[in-house]
Amino acid sequence: MTRLGRTSAWPGIALAAALLLVCLVLSLVLGPASLSLGQLWHFVTSGPVPGNLENAIFWQIRMPRVLLACLVGAELAVAGVILQDLFLNPLTDPYVTGVSSGAALGATIGIVLHWSGLPWTTMLALVGGLATLGIVWMAARRRGRIDIFVLLLAGVTISYLASAMVTVLMIQGNQDMRAIVYWLMGSFSGRSWGEVEIALVAVPFMIVPLFFTREMDIMLQGEKRALELGVEVERTKRLLLVTAGVLTAIAVSVCGIIGFVGLVVPHIVRLVVGPSHRSLLPVSLLAGAALLGIADLLSRTVIAPNEIPVGVVTTFVGAPLFVYLLRRGRRS
Amino acid sequence: MSTIRPRRRFAAGTILVAIALAAFAAIGLAACGSSTSSGASPSASTAAGPITVTDSAGNTVTMQQPAMRIVSLAPANTEIAFAVGAGGKMVAGTTYDDYPAAAKSLPKAGDFSNPSVEKIASFNPDLVLITGGVQAPLRAKLVKLGMNVYVIDPTTYAGVMTDIANVGKLAGTSAEAQKVVATMKQAQADVQAKVGSLAKRSTFIEIYSKPLMTAGTGTFISDMVGMAGGTNLGDSAGAGFPNFSSEVLLKDDPAVYIADSGSMSKPGELSTRPGFSSLTAVKDGHVYVIDDNLIARPGPRLAYGLQQLSKMIHPEAYTTQ
Repeated sequence: MTRLGRTSAWPGIALAAALLLVCLVLSLVLGPASLSLGQLWHFVTSGPVPGNLENAIFWQIRMPRVLLACLVGAELAVAGVILQDLFLNPLTDPYVTGVSSGAALGATIGIVLHWSGLPWTTMLALVGGLATLGIVWMAARRRGRIDIFVLLLAGVTISYLASAMVTVLMIQGNQDMRAIVYWLMGSFSGRSWGEVEIALVAVPFMIVPLFFTREMDIMLQGEKRALELGVEVERTKRLLLVTAGVLTAIAVSVCGIIGFVGLVVPHIVRLVVGPSHRSLLPVSLLAGAALLGIADLLSRTVIAPNEIPVGVVTTFVGAPLFVYLLRRGRRS
Repeated sequence: MSTIRPRRRFAAGTILVAIALAAFAAIGLAACGSSTSSGASPSASTAAGPITVTDSAGNTVTMQQPAMRIVSLAPANTEIAFAVGAGGKMVAGTTYDDYPAAAKSLPKAGDFSNPSVEKIASFNPDLVLITGGVQAPLRAKLVKLGMNVYVIDPTTYAGVMTDIANVGKLAGTSAEAQKVVATMKQAQADVQAKVGSLAKRSTFIEIYSKPLMTAGTGTFISDMVGMAGGTNLGDSAGAGFPNFSSEVLLKDDPAVYIADSGSMSKPGELSTRPGFSSLTAVKDGHVYVIDDNLIARPGPRLAYGLQQLSKMIHPEAYTTQ
């Protein structure tokens, strides 16, 4: 405590990394056809073998699914941290910018069009999410500045508009209703390497904010104070907003709308490691990955061969944990 | 004030005219309905005394005389009504009715998932054929309005035959209904003769692909898979139409994979899904697409569906002769 806020971030990061590693191993080992650690090692080292059923379960279904859940968890958690800070609002989640609703509209269009050849649903969801980001961005730009409150209002408005259009498409494309509803609920079921590749595009966007932790710390004290302290507020804001928007759009496009992770992981991590972004950002990234990984593991095993929607599990796992930490945090 | 009075009188006059027109229309419609139905089935008038049957949901349905004006709220129900010779008594169907061809031109009481009570009542039916699930809450509303409601929601092949026989009784066309039931029984017997003694084959039924969904216990589809010489893998996922994990599917590795045509258009699509090319059914070429109208609609055409299922599950029983 000799230098305020300069306690090392490494113990927290190491702990979160260990947690994620345990979660990864558990998720890869457990499932309807559970593996021993020896088998896990064998499958990992032998690589994909065509024609072998157990190998296909591991490499074609379980591995991509686990990786995707962890990637999406990390993306949503980082986007959540950034947006909660920018909006200075604890109730903010990655979906307030309207990006998720725009992505949902794109995905719905992809589902009702029934085009074949390319993964149109995912691609149109990505386009929808990014287009929404662009629209909200333009609405919030005033004389070279981004007005955060206008951005928030524009995001919410676009959300409603996109949701209304999704509803219209759902009623029109009656036979696709089920696919649309399941997409909106969010799931990793049936996802494979194609989705993982798209989610991997987000990795640079998760790393960039790690270079702006000092600016983010200062901006928590308000834009004016940050300006006085020599932070290039507008540039940082723009960079962070685009980063969070792209992260959200990519996450939503590969798996639909999964709630709670982006809202609660930053809070949980803040309660454990404190508000300094040097710890908060990397630990949230790892913890988000671990939480969604575990949630997906539960979603596919608890009532197998049926599945619980993963968003339901994230809430069941996250809500009690959050309440416990809130109470503990208040006592100390 | 003087300007208002004549207007009032005019309004009252309009209402009277409207009532008169409505009465004429009602009489005209009723006359139409009775003339077409009596033309279609002269046997209707011969049935005497009240008709009492029990529907799939366990409700007792009693009618004093055979139905004259039938509304169907599901394509399968429409098929049954036409099959038992009560097509001429149908006054309305659903927007999805496509079989037989005559059903397409019927007035529409609504679509399958959003039937409107008001719209149904406007056809003044004496018998409404509804289904279970989303339509279950509809029954009480229709009964309150004085309509006879028969729920067609069978969970077995035999249950479908019972419903067909009962609709025949209610419509006063039992003789024709019995012929339909006999055809279905014959199909069952034929299939039993072909595959009854053969070892059961593990079979997966794909109802929907996004997410993967199958037919579980308590469905007539599962019942028919058993009759056709298969064991239904979907039974392990519970009742109704549960989602099914693709990981479990690969682990259990069914010998036969049959997709509903509403879910998959050609068998080749299956091997493009991640991991599915390792399935035994894919490698051995035992992937089939079945017309969903033949296995997913609880109606008379299930007889063909049953025969097709048994040919898909046990092709060897049909090639030897």
